[in-house]
Amino acid sequence: MKRVKNLVQLAAAVALFAVAGAVQAEPYLAAQMGLKCAQCHVNPTGGGLRTVFGNTFAQTTLAAKRIGSEEDLWTGQVMKFLSVGGNARANYNFTDVPNQDSTNDFAVEEARAYLDFGVIPNRLSVYIDQRFAPGNATNLEANIRYWITENSIYVKAGRMYLPFGYRLEDDNAFVRQLSGINMQAPDEGVEFGWEAGSWSTQVALSNGTAGAPEADTGKQITARTEYAASVWRVGVSALSNDTDAGDRFGAGLFGAYRLGPVTLLGEVDYFDDDSIGVAGRKLMASLVEADWKVAQGHNLKFTYEWLEPDDDVDEDEQTRTSVLYEWSPIQFVQLRGGVRFYDGIPQNDLQNRTQAFLQLHGFF
Amino acid sequence: MIIQFSKLLPSKGILGLSVLMLASCTAGDGSGLDAGGRPLPPVPPANNDFQQIQATIFTPACTGCHAGASAPQGLRLDAGNSYALLVNVASNEVASLLRVNPGNPDTSYLVQKIQGNAAVGGRMPLGGPPLTQAQIDLVRGWIAAGAPSSAAPADQLQVASTIPAATEQAAAGLGKLTIIFNSDVDSSRVSGNSFELRDASDRLVNASVRVPAGRQNVVEVITPQPLAAGSYQLSVLGDGPAPLADQGGRVLDGDADGKPGGDLLIPFDVKAKEGSVR
Repeated sequence: MKRVKNLVQLAAAVALFAVAGAVQAEPYLAAQMGLKCAQCHVNPTGGGLRTVFGNTFAQTTLAAKRIGSEEDLWTGQVMKFLSVGGNARANYNFTDVPNQDSTNDFAVEEARAYLDFGVIPNRLSVYIDQRFAPGNATNLEANIRYWITENSIYVKAGRMYLPFGYRLEDDNAFVRQLSGINMQAPDEGVEFGWEAGSWSTQVALSNGTAGAPEADTGKQITARTEYAASVWRVGVSALSNDTDAGDRFGAGLFGAYRLGPVTLLGEVDYFDDDSIGVAGRKLMASLVEADWKVAQGHNLKFTYEWLEPDDDVDEDEQTRTSVLYEWSPIQFVQLRGGVRFYDGIPQNDLQNRTQAFLQLHGFF
Repeated sequence: MIIQFSKLLPSKGILGLSVLMLASCTAGDGSGLDAGGRPLPPVPPANNDFQQIQATIFTPACTGCHAGASAPQGLRLDAGNSYALLVNVASNEVASLLRVNPGNPDTSYLVQKIQGNAAVGGRMPLGGPPLTQAQIDLVRGWIAAGAPSSAAPADQLQVASTIPAATEQAAAGLGKLTIIFNSDVDSSRVSGNSFELRDASDRLVNASVRVPAGRQNVVEVITPQPLAAGSYQLSVLGDGPAPLADQGGRVLDGDADGKPGGDLLIPFDVKAKEGSVR
């Protein structure tokens, strides 16, 4: 009983801090609150299992209303050395492709569970991110994370998502499609990280095969550094992949700015990729995102994306415009709905499709 | 020196300008391009099932992600790579299944992924609309017919495609040439006598040849070191004392005149590595 009381007191203290200015699961939330990814996620680069702080924030600040008693406050810690979490997204999708019949379906976009064995609290953890749907169970992250100095310098080894740009929930965003680094394509390697004040820096050395077995002796280096002030942030990313199929180099600039209830995010990425086709390509993508916190638990999101798939070819650019509404009526539940308009070359119907979706998102 | 980053904070004017710049980029009008957004080829490709699948499915719907070194699961579906990485190649996600199992669409992982009944992961194209039933049937039909690289029944052994293709400029670091035939070759006749790689001075380039395991219709020419920048020509020989032949004993029709014999010449260039001095 005493333990429960202590836990509630801890959570309440965290919640108070959260209300004063905290952070959460998506980059816009971090920018809105002026904090770093590591505040809400055990993974310092964001995404996946939430910290006690992140879970408390989800219950006290993100949702429009919290139901249940104080004793029911979920922290993710089911026992002293074990934290768990998860995400589940169930969709209703509607797609209209020019010159085709429109389609609609119900689909489980994903169901994932996270386990973090903190065998030496705040220092050594074994972390697992397992996807259970769609399809059979698949491991997406499995790594060992050791904080050499508590909350400052760490090394992580195993399978992981690589650090590059914003870790967006939308894996199909052009910037994530271009880099090939998203939450569907982990890589295996080692990552070093440094959290110092407003700075957050990571450097990873990995196979560079996007989940496939290593096929050559070349490796990929991915690096990202970000400075997060209270109302603005800016960061740069770089990637270099040495493969037999051709070398690949990428660089990105990203940032955010908070204007009252509106948070603006932007990212621009450039890639020089000799591994595409025979002659290689130079590619670019950009993202502009505006998130308007209409009220607690309500967010209106607008994004505009641009993709240049080959800088040497004219008139092949594509855009993607999205308007989404996200409502978190109670803790750990989010209802999302929106429409995405694709605009590309007229001879490719898929590049001119319209998609709409409704999503029930449960997380903890 | 302590950097006062707060002083580097962009003014709202600069911020607004940046947002406007990012938001002012628009879509292309597609002039002079094919459905995959690539420049129209001078000569349209022959119409067969695999090239139709490439042109109408893989290139427009898949290569946004499945291209280059970052292609998920190493599966590159751009033209020139897709066939060699699909047919008789084991899936990474379910290693017991081939991506394309010639003659067996139901046990081909590619089909399972586009139908949405694969054991692992989401339906492809991920995040996009599913392929139409007609597109799926096209892929199934091609696989049921044995997943040929060309449509016509092979009454002659011919080269279906090569990587790099003739006259193309290959990226720096090229060390492997891939030749894909329209039927399985007799591996006992695959040797330096049936493949020649020469540089711009007509000097023979040291290279080994092999038939990859499980892919009898493919021959790889491998150089011990990446080729230096310059012009090269690969010859696949249908003439001479030991011409290439398929497992039915049919000699290569290298010059594609419908008769056995003749050499296929594939000239190509290798680009210099950026930053290097030639």
